[in-house]
Amino acid sequence: MTFSDLLLQQAINGLSLGAMYALLALGFTLVYGILELINFAHFNVFMIGSFIAMGTLQSFGLSGQDVILTGLPLVGVLVAAFAATMLGSGVLGMAIERLSLRPLRNVSGPAAMITTIGVSYILFNIVLLTLGADSKNFPNPLPPMRWHLGGAVVELRQLLIWAVAVVLMGGLWLFVQRSKLGKAMRATAQDPEAARMMGVEVDRVILTAFFLGSALAGAGGMIFGLYYNFTSFIIGFTAGLRAFTAAVLGGIGNVPGAMIGGILIGLIESYGGQFIAASWADVIIFSILVAVLVFRPSGLLGRLAPTKS
Amino acid sequence: MITRRAAAQLIASAAAVAAMGTAGAARAANQVLKVGVNLSLTGADAHSAKLILDGAQLAFDEANKSNAVPGYTFEVVSFDDATATAGQYDPVQAATNARKMVSDKQMIAAIGPQMSGSGKAMAPILSQGDLATITPASTNPDITDPKFAQQYRPAGKPIYFRTVTTDAFQGPNMANFLADKLHVKTVYILDDSGAYGVGMADAFQRQAEKDGIKVLGRDRLDPKAADYTAVLTKIKSLHPDALYYGGVGQAGVKLAKQAYDIIPNVIKAGGDGMDTPEMLTAAGFPAAEGWYVTIASPHLTDSTKAENFVKAFKAKFGEAPDDYAITAYDAGLVIINAVKRLVAEHKPVNHSTVREAIQNSQTPTIQGVVAFDQNGDIKDRTVSVFQIRKDPSKPLDDMEAQFHYVGVAPSA
Repeated sequence: MTFSDLLLQQAINGLSLGAMYALLALGFTLVYGILELINFAHFNVFMIGSFIAMGTLQSFGLSGQDVILTGLPLVGVLVAAFAATMLGSGVLGMAIERLSLRPLRNVSGPAAMITTIGVSYILFNIVLLTLGADSKNFPNPLPPMRWHLGGAVVELRQLLIWAVAVVLMGGLWLFVQRSKLGKAMRATAQDPEAARMMGVEVDRVILTAFFLGSALAGAGGMIFGLYYNFTSFIIGFTAGLRAFTAAVLGGIGNVPGAMIGGILIGLIESYGGQFIAASWADVIIFSILVAVLVFRPSGLLGRLAPTKS
Repeated sequence: MITRRAAAQLIASAAAVAAMGTAGAARAANQVLKVGVNLSLTGADAHSAKLILDGAQLAFDEANKSNAVPGYTFEVVSFDDATATAGQYDPVQAATNARKMVSDKQMIAAIGPQMSGSGKAMAPILSQGDLATITPASTNPDITDPKFAQQYRPAGKPIYFRTVTTDAFQGPNMANFLADKLHVKTVYILDDSGAYGVGMADAFQRQAEKDGIKVLGRDRLDPKAADYTAVLTKIKSLHPDALYYGGVGQAGVKLAKQAYDIIPNVIKAGGDGMDTPEMLTAAGFPAAEGWYVTIASPHLTDSTKAENFVKAFKAKFGEAPDDYAITAYDAGLVIINAVKRLVAEHKPVNHSTVREAIQNSQTPTIQGVVAFDQNGDIKDRTVSVFQIRKDPSKPLDDMEAQFHYVGVAPSA
């Protein structure tokens, strides 16, 4: 492996990680953009998403890495599993909003944020207590295909991650920019009072943001499982914290910022592991976060919507 | 419908009946001696913890049944040192459990912990309370090393006994095995940031260098992180003959999965932290294939000496024991034997006397006569090597069938 191969390989590793962080970061950003609320329950919506995906894949008779699918059955199973996972996670996100956050909508101070921490722990412990603490072997029907780019290797599952991430992020972008509900979301983000006066159903917009963000987190959870071939009740915290950092790095509330932030964090993690040490990953990532917040408090791309007073 | 008052009366009367029941039982029955068993019962290492707990339980059940110590009944009280936030053992919880143990006068000895990180937190508290514990699994040498006596036995007397040997032998003997038997010339070393993993990797590294193995690098994995591809890609670019991992299953399983993809042809080896059913259930084949792991005890589950134990264990718990279930059973035998001698000599049975009796143990057990040195370490220092190789004719999650005994690792 030459030095340039190594750089390329670490870029491939980092982009795969980054795509996952980006999907997760979008959920933080969507909710923050509208409610100015950091939703810590999002960490474990991601985790539960990976379990929904595991259950769906198992319901197709897949277990472990023994059954390999190709062609149409593979595409069918993956599409169905992504759909079920995103729907399930999205509904979970809506339930969290409806049951635990809407009653606190007009309570000022950090009550809502603390509530999301509580909900996060509830989800975490429910999975721990019902499904156990051991790592689960995540079914993976992908054929072990790989391509060589010089000395570097790209695997099919990495291509899949990128493809899914691009499709979902593109879809989100179109939705926010073009659809009526998307416009309502942007309007609410700018000024909820004015939006309400113009006839925007703010509650519905908020529910939509939770649905979309959680569905993306669920997709991220499924990607996590397919990429690492395992899941566990504990995966939400590390990935969630890094994705949250990605959202802040890109400019929280800013959709393209979350994507760029995610990719950057992924690349920092893999190049940091190569040139410094894997054990320093968190130090590097969070030092960069602090530096960005000191010099560009609104993140790399800043907030698109003006700050509410 | 039950009104609130009626419910309160019901509860009160039930409590009264229960109290009468226990009072009556205590008068008639033997004196109860509690043995605290501290393990990581819900963490990532839950399954190996269960086997250890069952092994210990079996020893005391048999003693109670055969009335091994007339006038006394043993009761196993289990403590869990794993917490949800850690996802595995948590030293803070272990310390809390140790405090509960020493404050209980009925508790005459303890078994555990499973994890050295917990052991480091528990040892000073147990020392102050003069309560002996026998660990069937935790192998970090610092805890019993006289160099660290100030830290781990501030009250002076050894209280941390083991029915397994330590990483001072486990790590180095594996280095010898790699050098002598597998002719490894270069190695990359990883650990999982825990007390056990770091100590293990350090001990391995020192002996590997002595054996002339070139250490190409050393890095540390965050057990809660999911992605180790960066460091594995780095390792790939260095072309080592072998990868040695000091640590437990939480990081180990993920490492095995990703190492299989990135460095499939490198020899992979670990300690008893990788001697876990999770290698089969969570990592699975083909990722687990070829890993070498050690345990800090003789390999006994196949031996004729353990035949009766294995049979009884399977009958009672419905699954096969591993070697640390045997060392746990042996730890139970040592405690029972200590109490038996005290009773025979008409001495009081309390924290200090039991500790003293354990120190002087010459107890016949499955692994042989268990005796401890002046620091509490077992005198026998056998380290056994296993290799994971897929045997498709047997259940793929059966450790006994898929972990193949290779032999005793050469000692330094």
